Amino acid sequence: MLALVARRLMTAVPTLLAIILASFFLMRLAPGGPFDGERPLPPETQAALQTAYGLDKPLWEQAWIYVSRLVQGDFGPSLVYRDFTVSELVAQGLPISLTLGGLAIILALLIGISAGLFAAVRAGKAADKTIMMIATVATALPTFVTGPALALFFGLWLGLLPVSGTGEGWSWLIMPVVALALPVSGAIAKLTRAGLATVLKQDHIRTARARGLPETKILFKHGLRPALVPVASYLGPAAAGLLTGAVVVETVFGLPGLGRYFVQGALNRDYPLVLGVVTLYAALIILFNLFADLIYGWLDPRMREG
Amino acid sequence: MKALFKRDHWPLWVVLSVMALALILPAVLPWTYDQIDWDAVRAPAFSGSHIFGTDEIGRDRLARLAAGTQVTLMVAIAAALVSLVVGIAWGATAGWVGGKVDEAMMRFVDALYALPFMFIVILLMVIFGRSILLVFVGIGLVEWLTMARVVRGQVMALKQRPFILAAEAAGSPPLTIILKHILPNIAGVALAYLMLTVPQVVMVESFLSFLGLGVQEPLTSLGILVKEGADDMDMTPLGLLLPGGLLVLLLVCLTIEGERLRDIYS
Repeated sequence: MLALVARRLMTAVPTLLAIILASFFLMRLAPGGPFDGERPLPPETQAALQTAYGLDKPLWEQAWIYVSRLVQGDFGPSLVYRDFTVSELVAQGLPISLTLGGLAIILALLIGISAGLFAAVRAGKAADKTIMMIATVATALPTFVTGPALALFFGLWLGLLPVSGTGEGWSWLIMPVVALALPVSGAIAKLTRAGLATVLKQDHIRTARARGLPETKILFKHGLRPALVPVASYLGPAAAGLLTGAVVVETVFGLPGLGRYFVQGALNRDYPLVLGVVTLYAALIILFNLFADLIYGWLDPRMREG
Repeated sequence: MKALFKRDHWPLWVVLSVMALALILPAVLPWTYDQIDWDAVRAPAFSGSHIFGTDEIGRDRLARLAAGTQVTLMVAIAAALVSLVVGIAWGATAGWVGGKVDEAMMRFVDALYALPFMFIVILLMVIFGRSILLVFVGIGLVEWLTMARVVRGQVMALKQRPFILAAEAAGSPPLTIILKHILPNIAGVALAYLMLTVPQVVMVESFLSFLGLGVQEPLTSLGILVKEGADDMDMTPLGLLLPGGLLVLLLVCLTIEGERLRDIYS
């Protein structure tokens, strides 16, 4: 277990470095810069700004400076939010995005696994077909439609939940988390249902039935665990999907998370901000994949020495 | 072909009908999608010649819906075709050549799979500017991965079949074998995955347009319409519900049809 973690972290560092360098050089290839406003700046000002932000140095030197500062936790200054460093923006946005994503994946697992389990127990019956139909529809629900639609119904019409901002208490989290969790829970329900359908046909289940074990014990103790293996391997892509979904949800509900800074940075060509957020996203996804692998190993002991 | 008329394929027919309506309506409607009716700003549905009313600056909602659907579906089809060509070329080469080349090519696909592709597309948009051409080239280039995997698997299985071995023994060059004997045999599976790629692409395009990074004004797409509707939903909820509902309908139908085809062919 420890060996796996260590080995994965060893490959994570070069992967992360490659992603950072690739995005760094790609962004610098881009025509147009962060100081292109409506009115062209005088050349002296332009040059002074370039020097102040170190944009006049050779590219490889800029990359080296960037990475060496990054190692010390310094993401550099934001070019558009002039009074803030990227580290400050990111430190403020990360907790919000993590809360949204974390709660969404927990909710999606709860809904998805119970729905999939329920459908598998009633395989072939009307309940099974209905649940699978709902799951298919759920996977096709884009967050940028469900988000505003939820805000319209529960925020504007029923007045139950706040439409925008973080506000008091926890109620502001409900709609963003539900909008994020819906498509993921549909996919998890389908995977759980398919996994259980295969597992329940296997010999060890028949043996358990022959031994007269109660059906609930068969289902939860012998059936569910191997059936969740495909769900575990879906967790990595799901995390990436949740991060992209969070970009939309944060924009729709006006939450100051990482995603909003990413979009603002992309629209304004704020290189350090976009780079910083991409780096964090990549690190989060790598970490989450490692976590998913550990769950995978726990669910299926054969995978532990893989 | 006859099989497509069975009742099971209703989702395909829903999509085709929407597509046909989106193509025909602009020719019949009295308003174009960017024409402003100064006398009817935020008109309710069924008022005068505006069947679904008008938006916050007086543009006919139905006309905009038709134009947006056209753009969204055209971008989706174009991008799906790019992914089809790239995916088949990559997958067939890897599967046919095999060995180290295959391993290297598929490792590359695995590596790309692990990347959060939406962020790559956004990076590309930032770097190369926002043009509709790039939207679909960008999307098509990241959506080919599944196609490549599926095609490679199929080619590897076919390669061992007697009729392919016979063609090889008869001295047919590899390209001829791939084009004449292998491609026709993987067409069904490729079609099924093409069908599943279309909703993915629709989703990505609308996502980008929603954030303001995709299709640009004066062109419109379903993503832009959802965005405009969301911004004005406290005044005219119809502006959000119509394009949002249509988008979900298209995505659901395309997904159901794609999954059905996939189950048939694999």
